[in-house]
Amino acid sequence: MFEVRSLRAKIILQVVVTLLVLPYLFPLVAMVQGSLSGEGWTNYVKVIQVPGFILFFRNSAIIAVCTIAIVYVVTMAAAYGFSKLHIRGREVYFWLLLACLTLPEVVLLTPLFVTATQVGLYNTYASVILPLAALQVPFAVLLTRNFVNGIPNELFEAARVDGANSVRGFWYLVIPLTRPIAAAIVIFTLIATWNDYLLPLVFLQDPTTQTITLIPQFFVGEFTNDQTKVLASAVLTALPEVIAYLSLQRLFERGLSAGALK
Amino acid sequence: MAETTLTSRKVTANRSPVSQSSGGANSRRRRPLPSGLPWILPALVLSVGLIYYSIGYTGYISTLNWNGTDPNPPSVGFNNYIQAFNDPVFWKALENTVVFFIVTFVVQTALGVVFAVLLHSRVRIAGVYKVIIFVPVVLAPAIMAPIFRQIFAANGQFNWLLGHLGLGFLEQPWVAQSSTALPVIMSITIWEWTGLTFILYFAAMSQIDPEVLEAARIDGAGNIRTLVSIIWPSVRGTTVALAMLSAIGALKTFDVPYLVTVGGPNYATEFLGTFIYRESIPQDNVGYGAALSILLLILALGMAIFLQLRGRERDGAA
Repeated sequence: MFEVRSLRAKIILQVVVTLLVLPYLFPLVAMVQGSLSGEGWTNYVKVIQVPGFILFFRNSAIIAVCTIAIVYVVTMAAAYGFSKLHIRGREVYFWLLLACLTLPEVVLLTPLFVTATQVGLYNTYASVILPLAALQVPFAVLLTRNFVNGIPNELFEAARVDGANSVRGFWYLVIPLTRPIAAAIVIFTLIATWNDYLLPLVFLQDPTTQTITLIPQFFVGEFTNDQTKVLASAVLTALPEVIAYLSLQRLFERGLSAGALK
Repeated sequence: MAETTLTSRKVTANRSPVSQSSGGANSRRRRPLPSGLPWILPALVLSVGLIYYSIGYTGYISTLNWNGTDPNPPSVGFNNYIQAFNDPVFWKALENTVVFFIVTFVVQTALGVVFAVLLHSRVRIAGVYKVIIFVPVVLAPAIMAPIFRQIFAANGQFNWLLGHLGLGFLEQPWVAQSSTALPVIMSITIWEWTGLTFILYFAAMSQIDPEVLEAARIDGAGNIRTLVSIIWPSVRGTTVALAMLSAIGALKTFDVPYLVTVGGPNYATEFLGTFIYRESIPQDNVGYGAALSILLLILALGMAIFLQLRGRERDGAA
């Protein structure tokens, strides 16, 4: 974009970029450095040795996998229905769904809390999975519907002429052809569920069902303000996310930007 | 990539049995499309069902004076709403949200555009810079909160850094005083989300025709002139989308202020999210919390409709 010809201009450009990027690196460095102060690597050993530490990861993984599975299945079916099949008053249903897009999750707290306690879902994975999925589906449907609109109708007609019913049309056309958008949906649902804090905070009281976002609080209790251990636990929690991002860089960037654009 | 394969398939599909049976339009009329209702039903039940049920329930609770356990809460009509409009904390939270939105949006947009332009220019190890800017987007705010609390503490790394840069006179307890707590929350949010803004602008800028840039250069436009007159107008779509996203994000803000400053000191970092949470759960003013939720919902919907309409209007004019 910017044209830099002379060596001096090139050096200035490089220095400017570096100075601008440093503040982004600073908290990460502070985190790692803080986790190694005091007892050094022993901080990490002590954190890992806390019974149940691994459970937070297991719980987050269970919740993420279930939410992704629900969002995927429900979204693909809905996008197919909206885009390629006949629905009377279709746009009404679509707008009902789209209105949910702007909903802040804090609005759901009280009614879901009361309902979950009444039907015995309080403190279960389902009490977090269902609202998370419900909040992700509208946007996923919006994206996927646009994508399925791009698949020519003739393909579906040809399949129908050949005797395929709508289930087979879904299975043999929609599922394989929507792979690019499905990857984006999987990624942004994963980030949204893995990083969610409010729903687990309210609905998961038992440490054996809690997720990784509740780890800092757990360790503040466990090590009564030994900040270095809390930071070590934060590094260990952030590590899988950074590794996942670095190994699937393209997919993460595309998935998250799909989450920002229509 | 997917689109090119699709268009090539479209050509073959046109020659397939459908067109042989005397025109696609006719055959479409004879064979009515199967109903899609069963296909969209799961999504409707899950999202529309759960969310509208919750909103309706919240609306009902908002007319009660309820502590969350009383089996027969008295109805108070619109009193909770009147209380909200007379509550200085509500207005403070709203003010914080507006300030937060304007500052984070402007700074993030500026940084996003600058990073995208600079990393599109000839910079070495651009890949490394990109990763550093983007990593915060993937990390959970809840995990990063203790780190930021420590960095901005009176004896934290930020003051240490200021001291070593010869700016020791600026050292202060950043999160413990109301004048600096909100700026801290805003800078954490900017740190967190610039990566996304940057990636979006970066992608949008690769769509700009290089010949247009070349032509501008030949006409004597410098770097800054090109940025203002060519690059910035071409990424307008991205800016509108990001405005929408930041506005809704500001209304949803909860994790960072709750975990770093607990809405304080003296409500300096109170947001609607933290306010509703505190009223509904720890303080058991469930009816009041529900009324605040409904007000938040109206604001979010109003904001979305407003920005959508404005975005479209400007598109038509351009």
